[in-house]
Amino acid sequence: MNDIPDAVELLAIARTTLLDKVLAQLPADLRYDAQMIANAMAIAAREQAAGDRAAQAALARLTALLAERDLALAGKELQAACAGLNRRLAATIRGGRFDDRDRAALLDHLAQTAADELAVSNPRALES
Amino acid sequence: MSLDAPDTRARLEAFLRAASGADAVHIRALSRLSGGAVQENWALDVDMNGGTHPGPHQWVLRTDAAARVAASLKRSEEFQILQVAYAAGLRAPEALWLCRDVAVTGREFFVMQRLPGIASGHRITRDAALVPDRARLACELAENLARLHAIHPPQPKLPFLATMHARDNIAHYRQYLDRLAGAFPALEWGLRWCEVHAPADEETTFIHRDYRTGNYLVHEGRLAGVLDWEFAAFGNPLEDVGWICAKCWRFAGKTRPAGGIAEAAEFIEPYQRASGRSVTPGALVYWQVMAHVRWAVIALQQAQRHLSGVERSLELALTGRIVAELEYEIVRLTR
Repeated sequence: MNDIPDAVELLAIARTTLLDKVLAQLPADLRYDAQMIANAMAIAAREQAAGDRAAQAALARLTALLAERDLALAGKELQAACAGLNRRLAATIRGGRFDDRDRAALLDHLAQTAADELAVSNPRALES
Repeated sequence: MSLDAPDTRARLEAFLRAASGADAVHIRALSRLSGGAVQENWALDVDMNGGTHPGPHQWVLRTDAAARVAASLKRSEEFQILQVAYAAGLRAPEALWLCRDVAVTGREFFVMQRLPGIASGHRITRDAALVPDRARLACELAENLARLHAIHPPQPKLPFLATMHARDNIAHYRQYLDRLAGAFPALEWGLRWCEVHAPADEETTFIHRDYRTGNYLVHEGRLAGVLDWEFAAFGNPLEDVGWICAKCWRFAGKTRPAGGIAEAAEFIEPYQRASGRSVTPGALVYWQVMAHVRWAVIALQQAQRHLSGVERSLELALTGRIVAELEYEIVRLTR
């Protein structure tokens, strides 16, 4: 497989071309669309660059919160395991299991998860 | 069909003639205003001869866009709401005529006053020249909201309005989350926290449910009018207070809690004075948390509109990615 330049590099140069060459030539009513396209490309590039790291850390926190045994997974299996544990965590929260006991650990996990997602979708939001 | 087609214009002129009792009506200009994925607003410039509104006028024609949101009201209902709000002395456009006859333009529409001013949340919160006296604007917003919350049920003209208290909202949002394939633990936490801390007694008034920066017009630094009444309901008036003070509606004014324009106290104090209600810090946080949960649920719905193919749109797709920001704030507020 020829992955040079890789997905992150392709998205970066495509985005630079859009912003530096194409944007200025666009009629005013398409500028906002172009900026949204650039934003979507930036999110996709950051998501690709971030890889599995955040999901692996989330999996470790989820297994601890739900008293599950540790799992070492990657790729699609990792995503599926996180999704399954997230469904269980959501139901457990709704049932009141984290109202008092383990509340701090839950909030640490939720804050870290949201921060990891923000680092991909909108890193500037973490600065404020 | 475009409203600007010659035969549609002729039917519109006939409608306005009949509605106003004018001898003659001439539409000078009819052009789509920007914004509004759910509703379309058209600038309507018209000369009227005789009748109830003689002379030249600048009005807005408001009608459904192709894609409607399930939670929003029909145009005929929004028309009734505007009439009630205007009669109560609220700063809002005066609603003039409703047309239920789809033969005129193809869709229900109404005609309302066109108010001057700027609504863009980004500009109002960034450009100090637009709002030279921020405390005064916050005070006007607070007093106007207090007047809105002085409207109590039952309202004979508003039989279609739902009543939504804290627990109704929680049940409603959970129901929606349960329909999605993925789970959202941070939103579940926000909902559980709102359930545990739900107020024992709640007042019931008319509420706007989208009273925030971006949905009102500022003209010469003053509040000119409140727009977008399509989510109105009966419910806890503090829901509106939490909504306008939520972080997600601060735009460029992240450090100014009241709508990105003023300090919280510059909004809360005049609201308390004008309404006679007390807004405790705890109640404010409670309704801020609820606001972020609600906006997250709406953002998920917007993303689903794209993902399901109902309305493929980059803007809707990107809206799905703001959920993390809302989750982060929910966790911060409930620590």
